[in-house]
Amino acid sequence: MPLDTSAYSLALLRVDGRRWNELRRIHAQIRTQAAADGSSYLEMGHTKVMCVVTGPSEPGPRRGTAGAGAAGASKAVAEVAVSVVVAGFSSVDRKKRGRNDKRNLELQSTIANALAASLHTHLFPHSVIQVSLHVLSQDGSLLAALINAATLACVDAGIPMTDYVVACTAGSTSTYAAGDESADPLLDLNHQEEQELPGLTVATLGESDRVAVLVCESRVQVGRLEGMLAVGVDGCKQVREILDRVVRDKGKRMVLEGTVAKGEGLEDMDLD
Amino acid sequence: MPITITAPKAVRPSYAAADNASDDSDSDASSDNGAADLEGDIPMASSRRKEDKSYSIVTPGEVITDDPQWMRGHGTFVSPSTSAIVSSVAGTITRTNKLLSVRPLRARYTPEVGDLVVGRIVEVQAKRWRVDVGASQLASLPLSAINLPGGILRKRTETDELQIRTFFAEGDLLVAEVQQLFSDGGAVLHTRSLKYGKLRNGVFVAVSGMGGGSGVVRSRRQVWTMEAANGAGPLDIVLGVNGFVWISKHVETPEALIAETKSATTGITNLEESVSTTMYSSQNDRIGVETMREISRIRGVVTALVENGLRVDEDMLVRGYHEAVEMAMLGEGPDDIYLGGERGEQLAAALTGV
Repeated sequence: MPLDTSAYSLALLRVDGRRWNELRRIHAQIRTQAAADGSSYLEMGHTKVMCVVTGPSEPGPRRGTAGAGAAGASKAVAEVAVSVVVAGFSSVDRKKRGRNDKRNLELQSTIANALAASLHTHLFPHSVIQVSLHVLSQDGSLLAALINAATLACVDAGIPMTDYVVACTAGSTSTYAAGDESADPLLDLNHQEEQELPGLTVATLGESDRVAVLVCESRVQVGRLEGMLAVGVDGCKQVREILDRVVRDKGKRMVLEGTVAKGEGLEDMDLD
Repeated sequence: MPITITAPKAVRPSYAAADNASDDSDSDASSDNGAADLEGDIPMASSRRKEDKSYSIVTPGEVITDDPQWMRGHGTFVSPSTSAIVSSVAGTITRTNKLLSVRPLRARYTPEVGDLVVGRIVEVQAKRWRVDVGASQLASLPLSAINLPGGILRKRTETDELQIRTFFAEGDLLVAEVQQLFSDGGAVLHTRSLKYGKLRNGVFVAVSGMGGGSGVVRSRRQVWTMEAANGAGPLDIVLGVNGFVWISKHVETPEALIAETKSATTGITNLEESVSTTMYSSQNDRIGVETMREISRIRGVVTALVENGLRVDEDMLVRGYHEAVEMAMLGEGPDDIYLGGERGEQLAAALTGV
């Protein structure tokens, strides 16, 4: 179904009724699975993913490979292993995706590299941080949702990191073919927009403007790129605010329940 | 869409109200600052920070202080460009004199020298075992750090190395003490005491350990023997600091046996041999049904404590157990050991006195 972009210029509203700079509803939860080291569940609009983190832990003796103990043991930093499973029922068409699906592999390596850059992996030599992501429902911005969910799960697992890695998508209001250099940028594309319009996924390191991931798989005029990137980076800051709030609420509740001992505020520290 | 995905429910229904509250604030947050500001700078952020300070929760990337007089501890790092101390985990701030550290809300166990741990053998190497203690690395137990059968003065020989699997094989559970730490955080264990060694006659429960959050906490006593109800006899309980718990039927400790046999005037070599024959046995003794029931009741208490966010230590567990026995006596029915769900909450409420 082609996306009707002609109506946009009239009311400046997108197909789902958002303005150009509005995110979809983000709902996130952490510690959804009690038995896991870290877990999270994230919804960005209708894109729903969950994540489970195991580790950092040292893998036992691997079977099949000779002298496997030595191979893993030489690592000075923890390895981040990401696996993404896309559920068959997650999108409208049931597509069978193999284990070695190229798109899937690219998602995995992108997420693994982004996380490895932020996590303090040097604190855990010889160990593996296993991140498994499950896509339950897809409606655009899949990579962004996966990165956000993985970050939350790593925070829940108590793995030290430099800052949250938060991601979000940005697009442009008209297609590449239209050749419109002055098209407005859009924030947080849904599936329909993603199909038709040029878009990119950007992930930043927390509140800073440091870009951790930038993926652009569509053709777009270079003049429009800067605006899209700026909107994307700004969206990341909003996403960080929302995720941070989720973590804080959880922490606050744990302090109130007495599960975690109350910390000392910097105010009540005597500075002499 | 033919399939609807719903968000996972909170583990504890009693906190459903609090969950809804956070949901609302979520959607509020996304709607009222949903508009991106190209100039950057969201004014909401700073005010929210201040309000949260009262709970002293810090999250990754948050600057704790830029005062140079503080030293950074665990859970923090110094940002390369400035000299500010930044938190790297989500947790609460603790300070020891000038040392600032952040205790994570939850993390894996980090070994410390002197910790009593319960572990499982995962690998047998030429002169040592690798033990899973729930830490980020496997701990190692050298052959030289165990009590060999035949007494303390016995020399370690090559035959011992060859029959290393007769002491501990893969999958065996043991209780040990952390003897030393490597600089990379790896631990070396020892079982050079008759208190430590192979575990049998009981059940294993894994809860979260000293890393943070609820679970086993370091306390005065990690190992004790308690009298169980319903004529089950005494039970041994080992709370590993790493969050691994072992509950078993009480067997006379080797020390007690030695004392007994000493009075019976046997040669010292004989008695040590008699002790050591059972030391590395993997064969369970006969355990009566009532003992098994009480063991599983204690296991139920441990999981109920963790489910309700309470700490697991001697005091809580003993009180919880007596409470559970009382609850079972009052309630009728065959499934009186079950302590999940509502019954667990009832138990937790009785313990916290709410």
